[in-house]
Amino acid sequence: MSLRQRLLLVFSLTVVLSVAAVAWIVSLRTRQAFAEANQKHTVALVDQFRRDFDEQAEDVAARVDHVAGSDRLVRIAFDLTQTGGDPSPYLSEAAVLAGDHQLDFLEIISADGSIVSSAQWPARFGYREDLHSIGNQPTLKREELPDGSSEIGLFALRTVRGAEPKLYVLGGKRLDRGFLANLSAPADTQVLLYPVLTSTFNPHALISTVGELPQAAQYKSLVESARSSGQEVRSTIYVTDRREDSVDATAMPLKAPDGSVLAVLVVANSRRGLVELQQHIRAIGYGVAGVSILLAIAASLWITSRISHPIEQLAAAATEVAAGNWDTQVEISSSDEVGALARSFNHMTQQLSEQRERLVQSERVAAWRELARRLAHELKNPLFPLQLTVENLIKARNLSPAEFDEIFRESTGTLTAEIANLKNVIARFSDFSKMPKPQLQQVNMVEVLRKVATLYEPVLARHHPPIDFDVQLDIEARTVSADPDLLHRALSNLVLNAMDAMPNGGTLTMELGSRGDSIEIRVSDTGSGMTPEECDRLFTPYYTTKQHGTGLGLAIVQSVVSDHHGTIRVESKPGHGSTFVVDLPSLAARVASA
Amino acid sequence: MKLTVSRWLVVISLLFASALTTAARTRPRYGGTLHVETRTDPLKSPDGIARKLLFDTLTQVSANGELLPALAVSWESQSANHRWQFRLRSGVHFHDGSPLTAEAAVQSLSASCKHCAWHVRAVGDSVIFTGDAPMPELPAEMARSAYAIARQDDNGNPDGTGPFRFVANSNGILFLSANDDSWQGRPFVDTVEIYGNRTVREQWLDFSVGKADLVEVPPELLRQAQQDRMPLAVAARPSDLLAISVSPEQIADEHLRESIALALDRTALFNVIFQKQGEVTASLLPNALSGYAFLFPSPANLSRSRELRGTQSIPMHLSVDSSSAVLQLVAERLALNLRDAGWNVRVASQAANPNAELALQLVHMEAAEATSALGETLEDFGARARDEGSDPATLYRSEHSFLQSHTVIPLLYLPRAYGVNVRVQNLVLAPDGTPLLANVSLEDAK
Repeated sequence: MSLRQRLLLVFSLTVVLSVAAVAWIVSLRTRQAFAEANQKHTVALVDQFRRDFDEQAEDVAARVDHVAGSDRLVRIAFDLTQTGGDPSPYLSEAAVLAGDHQLDFLEIISADGSIVSSAQWPARFGYREDLHSIGNQPTLKREELPDGSSEIGLFALRTVRGAEPKLYVLGGKRLDRGFLANLSAPADTQVLLYPVLTSTFNPHALISTVGELPQAAQYKSLVESARSSGQEVRSTIYVTDRREDSVDATAMPLKAPDGSVLAVLVVANSRRGLVELQQHIRAIGYGVAGVSILLAIAASLWITSRISHPIEQLAAAATEVAAGNWDTQVEISSSDEVGALARSFNHMTQQLSEQRERLVQSERVAAWRELARRLAHELKNPLFPLQLTVENLIKARNLSPAEFDEIFRESTGTLTAEIANLKNVIARFSDFSKMPKPQLQQVNMVEVLRKVATLYEPVLARHHPPIDFDVQLDIEARTVSADPDLLHRALSNLVLNAMDAMPNGGTLTMELGSRGDSIEIRVSDTGSGMTPEECDRLFTPYYTTKQHGTGLGLAIVQSVVSDHHGTIRVESKPGHGSTFVVDLPSLAARVASA
Repeated sequence: MKLTVSRWLVVISLLFASALTTAARTRPRYGGTLHVETRTDPLKSPDGIARKLLFDTLTQVSANGELLPALAVSWESQSANHRWQFRLRSGVHFHDGSPLTAEAAVQSLSASCKHCAWHVRAVGDSVIFTGDAPMPELPAEMARSAYAIARQDDNGNPDGTGPFRFVANSNGILFLSANDDSWQGRPFVDTVEIYGNRTVREQWLDFSVGKADLVEVPPELLRQAQQDRMPLAVAARPSDLLAISVSPEQIADEHLRESIALALDRTALFNVIFQKQGEVTASLLPNALSGYAFLFPSPANLSRSRELRGTQSIPMHLSVDSSSAVLQLVAERLALNLRDAGWNVRVASQAANPNAELALQLVHMEAAEATSALGETLEDFGARARDEGSDPATLYRSEHSFLQSHTVIPLLYLPRAYGVNVRVQNLVLAPDGTPLLANVSLEDAK
């Protein structure tokens, strides 16, 4: 992962996490705040419904009061007194009065508690109604009906005015949809009623102002909790899988005078507004977070580019330097640490360049010195005998002609040999200076090595002490694009060097193998080996460890190998011989790289 | 002196004129339209109110219960009442003009006979009845509306020999016009309009504004009608039996049926619902007909009922005609009585529960004579008299043996009554409470 990517990732994560944390906290607090407000609203609604319910109860009481005070009932009371209590003419009076006063239940009851007339169950005339549990306040009561069912109603008991003996009126209104409809409910609030008619929860019995509730079963636990505890219970009900359909429900048990729960009134305040608001906040949060993240990424990209670009430039420049372009310079675009680093880099490369120049200069000087030394040394050797010979000739002028002739002959022979030697030295120097360019062609390395082996095997055999020649050729054809003559010359130099490294005999090994896309040629001797310092300078022109020689042989080998896009190295330890390893690219690798 | 005689002459003349006027006012007048309203279909068999106007029977019962000739001028029995011959009146025509023949009479009687014990055939101008068992009360039986000589004309309209002929039946109004050629003589009113399927409230409303001449007064409203001083015509004896039939197939144990019978409180029904109209009964025949109704005990016995019921608590239904509010009320009261005895009873609609264990029924007794009345009532409950004979003892045994099974539990006998407009003259109710409209006239007819 690059620096820019890492920086980008770090910046982005930092911003994302920060924004997410802030959004979550804000969302959480907002939701909590709205939930609290919603809760307060629900409590206020419930209180309102409680007051509405009490008002409905008062309304029932007022209606019953009106019935009890009506002229009709007063007349009935009077007639009953006159007729000795024969209630038969008034069998249907309760139904008429109930209809007139919009009551669902109405019974006219004599002083002994027997029903004179019943609107809801006309056939119950003469049966006794228990009035002891009903006081002056409106109460809830379960009323049995002719069809075997029962209903819960809000009842009030009144005495007919002036009646003696007493005549009672017990009237009420059914707790049903109509009753619920009279409870004023805001648009987002639903009022439900569950009359407790069975021992187990019956979802069909839970009614609302629109009738049966399809998701009534969801209210089961709330209703049963209120019913069993006799206390108000609050809960959040998830009516469907969608959170928007959830409600804050409060269940209020409605009790009979004996404390038994006859019905449960449920006020369900829709949480749709709250949920939608929360979702809205969440969506805004996500939106803000998303935008922030995008902005953060964009900013991160810009920032990281500002930070990483100079560093990348520095890295690229360093790579250039590593590749050998020591005079690489980077642009200095800031005055901060990166700028200082760039300045330092530029200074470094400048110094490197200067040092290289100096090094090159010094190497050139050293090479010139070495060349001069070697040349002086090479030339000195033949020049000294030349000088002696000439001096002898000068001295021989004073001798007899016969002695002069003999000395003249010896001297001319010496002069000729040393001049040939000089010419040889000069020729070798000349050869190195004008190394030819390789004429590339497909060359089978096995053949090249075989040719070298064939040429030098007899030489090595005649060496005193003899040197063993071990040739290990990978028989698989190794084809390279090379100049066979130059390769022959280079390998010959390596063989001759190895031979020179074993004056006391040994084993010269020549191996041909492959390493990946390269052809590897190893020429090993079992001589005295070299020190690491000697190894470092080995390929320097005119450097030699031998008493004789120009020191150009390995330089020529390196030049040839380099012209063939290969490499040469030496593996040597003092006392363990040396191995020269030449790596040349195979023909296939040369073709691919082209 | 002369002045005094003149004064006397004037007075006498005035008195004579007044007498003449009074006589003229009380003499029946021809003409007018009689408006009748009823809760049921006036053509409903067997006792729709229009049937007695459109059709005649072989015999008829007078207002005082006497059996009189009608379409048959005479009848005689042979073979110890196994055979009867009814000789038809001559010169009688159907409303379409065709003469009444014995064949036509036999065809009508055969169609009416569902589970009759007799066979009928025409011989000349006579109708011959034969039966495997003696039929001593056949002539009285032939006075029942069920055996009216009736047929349909080519248009499917009712066609008979009665004092009125069918004109039209549209929008719930049956239009009848006087049969000028009626063998009984032309009726006084020209037309009769019968409004069927009207509620009592609607009838009384029309009556109060003078739109109806004859309306029904149900027994539960009779007392109120009397208190409201409505002009009434009330039958001399109650003729509608309110009873519960118990299915012996579904309640096979006779003790359980007896338990049901003992749980029922007739007094509350009589005193409160029907406001002491009619009579409490535990017998099939009213005391006015049989004279022995008091021998059948009627008081409820709740403890005995519980004892007989034991632990049995099978849920039962008490079916009732849900179109009648008072029957619905009676059924609910009886269901309460049964629940007090520990029975699990629900009141249900007869239409929805035709096979209920219990059924509240109101059956009309048309016969005016005890033997035929018992036969008619038993027939209504799908039974026959076990003993043959018309003496009170035999009748009592038949009735007693039938009621012992408790498959029918009589409760009340209820009277029939009608509100009658003051302009309606000469309205007489038959012994079974049916208004005899053929002889009615209208005071303001022109």
